[in-house]
Amino acid sequence: MRWLGLALVVVAAATLMLGVADLPPHGAPDAPVHTHVGARYLERGVAETGMRNLVTAVLLVYRGFDTFLEVVVIFSALVAVVALPRGRAARPDDGDDRPPAASLTAEGPAQQLVSVSPVVAFVVQLLGPFIAVFALASLYRGHVSPGGGFQSAAIFGALFIAIALVQGRERAALLVPRGARVWLQALGPLSFALIGTVGWILTGAFLGYPADAAAYALREAMVVAVEVGIAVGGAVILAQLFMAMEG
Amino acid sequence: MSQLFDALLLLLLISTAITVVRATDLVAAVVKFGLYSLMMCVLWQHRGAPDVAIAEAAVGAGVTSVLFLLTVARTTRVEKP
Repeated sequence: MRWLGLALVVVAAATLMLGVADLPPHGAPDAPVHTHVGARYLERGVAETGMRNLVTAVLLVYRGFDTFLEVVVIFSALVAVVALPRGRAARPDDGDDRPPAASLTAEGPAQQLVSVSPVVAFVVQLLGPFIAVFALASLYRGHVSPGGGFQSAAIFGALFIAIALVQGRERAALLVPRGARVWLQALGPLSFALIGTVGWILTGAFLGYPADAAAYALREAMVVAVEVGIAVGGAVILAQLFMAMEG
Repeated sequence: MSQLFDALLLLLLISTAITVVRATDLVAAVVKFGLYSLMMCVLWQHRGAPDVAIAEAAVGAGVTSVLFLLTVARTTRVEKP
């Protein structure tokens, strides 16, 4: 059985290597990926969308519907985790009543929450504001430079988790207003659908953006609104995922 | 030089992936997986995909590591053969 597995791996790896050897060199202009629809994006993307970051242009304009459903998928992931039964995880081998997520030890009696090293706490406090500014910058400048809603959401979510690990989840939870939490975690799909409908009214196509040069400011505002929705909604979803899994 | 850097990074990635799979201590596996994500982030950046690199650094090395650790804390730390 072991040798059969090894043989399968070797055959599969050899097939993949053969395939890789046939690929065009990295960045070759005549590679199929650059001669198809990608060439049009590169030639006319900036003029058509007004975004200098073509990654964002493809995400939000040319493939806007895909991104919309992608945001819905992230939201569904949170729904799935929250729908899981709460409380202590099933551990057949121990019967004590220790709080969940209390220890990372393999065996032995319950160990209380590990205290946070002052070095870690200081580093998080020192870097936190810079991380937040970076996340904001990558959100607001996402359509002209690398970054965007998803990156900003990931950075904000990671920052929240770092704060929750150092300051405790009660203080970190204050960052997400309790009353608005339900709406904030659905902000990605909601803002996307709203802006898509606005585009529908303006251009006649769902998720359409006004294309003429005069509407540049409006188009930029719509893009930033979608990005803000993705960033805030995604960050709140990451924070809620952390809280749901921890508590 | 640039190609050599990529090749070195890819070899490191493969060896890290093997150590992740072989680790029986799941916390060690999570830490190694975070290392894998960081190297992957450097590779994305070096291959000219800064958008992906940012997301990889924040999600791959940051958020998923914590979520994996929480899962380990709620189940068992040692993988049973």
